[in-house]
Amino acid sequence: MKYSNEIKVGLTIIVAAVIFILGIRYFEDLPLFDSTYDLVAEFDDAGGLIGGNIVRVNGVSVGSVTSVYISETTGKVIVEFHVDPKIPVTEGSHATVGGFDALGVVRMDLTLGPSSSPRIPEGGLVATSATSDLMADMSARAPAMLDSVGRVLEELDGVLVEANTILSTPESDLRRTLAAARGSMSQVEALLAGERDRMVRILANADSLTADLDTAMGEDGEALTSLMGQMETMLATLNEDLERFQATNEQIDTLLRKLNEGEGTLGMLINDPSMYHRMDSTLNGLNALIADFQDNPGRYLKEMKIVDLF
Amino acid sequence: MVPLTPDIIINPISALGRYSQLLFHAFGAVTEVASYRKNLWRQMVKVGLDSLPIVMLAATFSGAVSTVQTSYQLVSPLIPRSIVGAIITSSMILELGAVVTGFILAGRVGARIAAELGTMRVTEQIDALETMGLNSVGYLIVPRVVAGVVMFPVLYIAACFCGIGGGMLIGELGGFVPLEEFIYGAREYFQPFDPIFGIIKSLVFGFLITSISCFKGYYTQGGAEGVGRATTQAAVASCVFLLLADLILAVLLL
Amino acid sequence: MIRVSHVNKSFGDKHVLKDVSVDIPEGETIAIIGRSGSGKSVLMKHLIGLMQPDSGSVTVDGIDINAITYAELRRVRRHFGVLFQGGALFDSMNAFENVAFPLRTFTEMTEADISRVVKECLAMVELEDVGAKLPSELSGGMQKRVALARAVALQPRYIIYDEPTSGLDPETSNTIDELIRNLADRLNVTSIVVTHDMHSVLNIADRAAFIYEGRMHWTGTIEALHHSDDQILKAFVTANEYKIGPS
Repeated sequence: MKYSNEIKVGLTIIVAAVIFILGIRYFEDLPLFDSTYDLVAEFDDAGGLIGGNIVRVNGVSVGSVTSVYISETTGKVIVEFHVDPKIPVTEGSHATVGGFDALGVVRMDLTLGPSSSPRIPEGGLVATSATSDLMADMSARAPAMLDSVGRVLEELDGVLVEANTILSTPESDLRRTLAAARGSMSQVEALLAGERDRMVRILANADSLTADLDTAMGEDGEALTSLMGQMETMLATLNEDLERFQATNEQIDTLLRKLNEGEGTLGMLINDPSMYHRMDSTLNGLNALIADFQDNPGRYLKEMKIVDLF
Repeated sequence: MVPLTPDIIINPISALGRYSQLLFHAFGAVTEVASYRKNLWRQMVKVGLDSLPIVMLAATFSGAVSTVQTSYQLVSPLIPRSIVGAIITSSMILELGAVVTGFILAGRVGARIAAELGTMRVTEQIDALETMGLNSVGYLIVPRVVAGVVMFPVLYIAACFCGIGGGMLIGELGGFVPLEEFIYGAREYFQPFDPIFGIIKSLVFGFLITSISCFKGYYTQGGAEGVGRATTQAAVASCVFLLLADLILAVLLL
Repeated sequence: MIRVSHVNKSFGDKHVLKDVSVDIPEGETIAIIGRSGSGKSVLMKHLIGLMQPDSGSVTVDGIDINAITYAELRRVRRHFGVLFQGGALFDSMNAFENVAFPLRTFTEMTEADISRVVKECLAMVELEDVGAKLPSELSGGMQKRVALARAVALQPRYIIYDEPTSGLDPETSNTIDELIRNLADRLNVTSIVVTHDMHSVLNIADRAAFIYEGRMHWTGTIEALHHSDDQILKAFVTANEYKIGPS
């Protein structure tokens, strides 16, 4: 049968119109024939979301954003979107903007509420939670990072404790020196019981020696503190992961090892052979003095000023 | 006597003047539906339906070729393959659909209109229509331009449908982009205004091609050679103004 | 009647019609003669408003056709039938449709009536059986005859013939001449024949108007033409007779 031009043209136009409308609905992710399930969400920050972006539930694409605009009254971002009517968007569901704006792949993620709750009505408002992009991720991890910084500080504390321990270990040269000094003192005390006052002064002098040592210790403590401060700054700037701290810990270990081996000011102080030798010779002199004292107490009791000079 | 203004300036301006006069005349005849109704349906078939196969063929191939070439170019592992779908779909809808159809119509329909009217002019058929008391502009030009404006969007839709379909098909069968990824990408970047823009474009193109070709044909001079000249000029001028309009529309509307 | 008075027309620098005046009385057959390029075709186009004069006027039945609207002009034109040089048949339509076209366009006639009138018209030009043929399938002479049938379909009061016999062999020319003569007698129309074929003029015309270099050089009856001693007119008439030979 031959159709007239009118029918042929009319049919073609109708088919084209149908393809056009269905095509737009198809690419807009709208169901071709059903009605849609329109919803609204309100954000503080749209994070680059635009009309046409995909709406996902548990990583499955279920609809798309219709339009994004700023509310004239509240100034917030209003996002109109539609999803497959079969998706149970219940009360308690909430929306977040996800994806990576710089690559242009922004999407909206919908976390569904409990299935027992009533469905949000057509055109209803879906709750939102803050945008979670890379920066937000980093902010979220900040407390954990501070934690590790804290741990590093604790470890530094440990270093100090260790330094103290070095000072208090019997094997330590300084300790031995001091022990020897104390032995000498007790001998001096025992021998000069009668001359307590003078001995007290000798002891006071020895005390002032340790005070000097303490001061020296204090100064180096400050140096350590500033070192720690530098490390802190470094940690804060780099925002590195814990592996980095491991390396720092290793450095600290090295530091401690070096401290033990006598490198660094504190180590030098602790391990300085010349000082040891000086103190040793002093004590030897003291021993000789005491031996001499035992032999000729009278001379020394007269010449107490020598001891004063010490 | 030396003319005050060179022909190179005068000629285009006077051509524009005659073109607008012709269009003005044509719009005046739009209401005389009875005189051209039958002709309108015939022109719609000639401009629209008869162009469908070639438009669909060209669009299918340009969609398929774009898909293959875009996949070939996008080798970075950072870029998802679904981008191919987005690129093909939006370029078909925004540009290729209308422009490919436009070029085909400029060649096929524009040249035919100019040759037809040119022949009618040089064989005095237009004068014959006039002397019968018919409005030749209304009878000859209005149905052609109206058919162009009505049928071009139809062809554009067919072109988009076939172009995107061709892209999807070659992507899936040729193993360039799986269908799901193609569609995912197409939807991800789909802007509802894009097809509206495409339709606006095709309306303008349809009007330009048919009216320019009618103008060239209607004012043909100089026998068979003149008809040949008018035909060539119609196709070339249609293409040039189509590209110009393409740019202007893109600047104005996007 | 048609009155052309003091018409001037130029194309660019070319002054084609110079103060041309001529009266075409009702019921007569007038031949507008002149050499090629003398301006007679331009004058013919002025008669039906296809061209507008730069100055002067053309009145048809008392109506100045250059002072009226396009719609009114088209109404005036329906009184005219024009036979163009090449026939100007619409080549997308067959012979029948060509003749039927003005009837379908301008009358409320039923298809049956149209069919009857078309057959009458085709019979008048002795081409009853070519109705289904396309113009391209017809010879030049047949095309002109179909075109003539189309020109008379609406029973015009004026018929304009533009070079009706040019490009035709003498025998076919004679047939066309006879048809023109017959139509003028039977339909009582006013005929205007634009031609340079003096043989044809002498066969069909009552009066002649001779255009020479854009001016109306001479007007008068065929009788007067024979006895005129105007040198230019004589040269034109004898040149024609010499070319064609005595009839």
